[in-house]
Amino acid sequence: MNKIIIIGAGPAGLSAAITIAQNGEEVLVLDEYMLAGGRLLGQLYEEPTGNWWNGITESENLYEKAIQLGVDIQLNTSVYDMEKQNNQWIIYTDNGTYFTKNVLLATGAAEQPFAIPGWTLPGVMSVGAAQVMTNVHRVKPGKRGIIVGVNVLSSAIAMELQLAGIHVKCITLPKKTKLAKESGDPLEVMNSLLHVSHMAPSKFVQLGSKLMKNDLMKKMGISFYPKNGIKMWDIPIMLRKAVIEIYGDKVVEGVKIATITPDGEVVKGTEENISADFVCITGGLYPLAELAAIAGCPFYHIEELGGHVPLHNEKMETTIEGLYVAGNITGIEGAKVAMSQGVVAGFSILNHIQDGKFNNDIEKSIKEIEQTRNSAYIQFHPNVEEGKHKLKKHWENYIGKELCKMVK
Amino acid sequence: MDCSMIVCRCEEVTYDDLVKTANKYKCSSRELKLRTRAGMGYCGGRTCRSMIESIVDKENEKKDEHVPLKYQAPIRPIHFGKLGGMNNDE
Repeated sequence: MNKIIIIGAGPAGLSAAITIAQNGEEVLVLDEYMLAGGRLLGQLYEEPTGNWWNGITESENLYEKAIQLGVDIQLNTSVYDMEKQNNQWIIYTDNGTYFTKNVLLATGAAEQPFAIPGWTLPGVMSVGAAQVMTNVHRVKPGKRGIIVGVNVLSSAIAMELQLAGIHVKCITLPKKTKLAKESGDPLEVMNSLLHVSHMAPSKFVQLGSKLMKNDLMKKMGISFYPKNGIKMWDIPIMLRKAVIEIYGDKVVEGVKIATITPDGEVVKGTEENISADFVCITGGLYPLAELAAIAGCPFYHIEELGGHVPLHNEKMETTIEGLYVAGNITGIEGAKVAMSQGVVAGFSILNHIQDGKFNNDIEKSIKEIEQTRNSAYIQFHPNVEEGKHKLKKHWENYIGKELCKMVK
Repeated sequence: MDCSMIVCRCEEVTYDDLVKTANKYKCSSRELKLRTRAGMGYCGGRTCRSMIESIVDKENEKKDEHVPLKYQAPIRPIHFGKLGGMNNDE
């Protein structure tokens, strides 16, 4: 029997484990990957201060700190099921079964794929896969690549690939289909990009995006957007071209691309081929919440948080006793926010075990999440705050209803 | 759009199959899954799940009533021996 089990050794899970161990409790962390760090492992970018944020170093630091504090971390361990019996959780893994009263789900996020013709050819991968190959395994996914899907994740990873000496020929949209959703709509994509324009090294882009406050300006922006794209880190970002298909005999050889109207419709006769030896497809990230669903958490679809999230409160408690959540499972945000959420979850669990000794710490650490969120360099969704507010309303409604049931 | 484009790689279900089925039966994502076997293969729908949902979203007008596909254990591929609890000595 373990006192506390954390599922996921990313920034949220490790920060929670450190918080718990620092306050004298034993904790076990499980993760299916061979290294601790989760999605943090792949990150590499320069902050406005000039410091480089290196995910591998950050992950190692968290891991070392946790180990020194006596945290038990089991890697290469996949949790495939969990259930509650006689007031305790049974955690089934491919490395044995564990029992505990307190579980923190810090399972992070997964990448949303979409299909375009030719996507099953070898050499097509998710942008996150290209990131892990390059930054974690130090293997180039190819020499010349094309990224299909323009979003915060893909523009950040494109820059990382470029740093590793891989030629990213362009970042472009997929053709609009029932599968690619908003990813194929130039206006939607432009909207989502405007709030990261401060990251653009080009003064032109920074200035341009300040002008695009209203919808009319945005539409004009799309209409006049250069067909060959605007360059960021020397990579053309094309909002007026879309990939129609990925071609190749047995492996990727290139993509067929065409000009699209501001509404995303293909302009006939503009098709051309661009050669490449790998192609990345990306529809952004969504919260990975399979275990929360199996455990029985109610879910809400909140666009601003990146998809379906399990109902939870500010203290990172779910509606089920002994079940907590932290990190990207609660909504897509950066690693620093995930860490501060991990701290809150850690204190909440401690508070539960040690009878309310940590109320002040919880309150303080909740405020720190907000500060971290407000000063975050990368915001995955411009209205995260609004999404969190929606979730809070759902929580209040849910608890209200539950109380009514109890009174009856 | 290439109609023979595969959406569910494990069960080799095409885009065309899915859209036609969703259109014909005006069905939920669960029904679409059961009718076509999309998402029922080895990977447990970990790749095509969101695409099945978005096809249903686009084909079905009653969007608000859309119930997403359920998650069921095992959520990761594992050996039968382990599933049978051979290692559970506690």
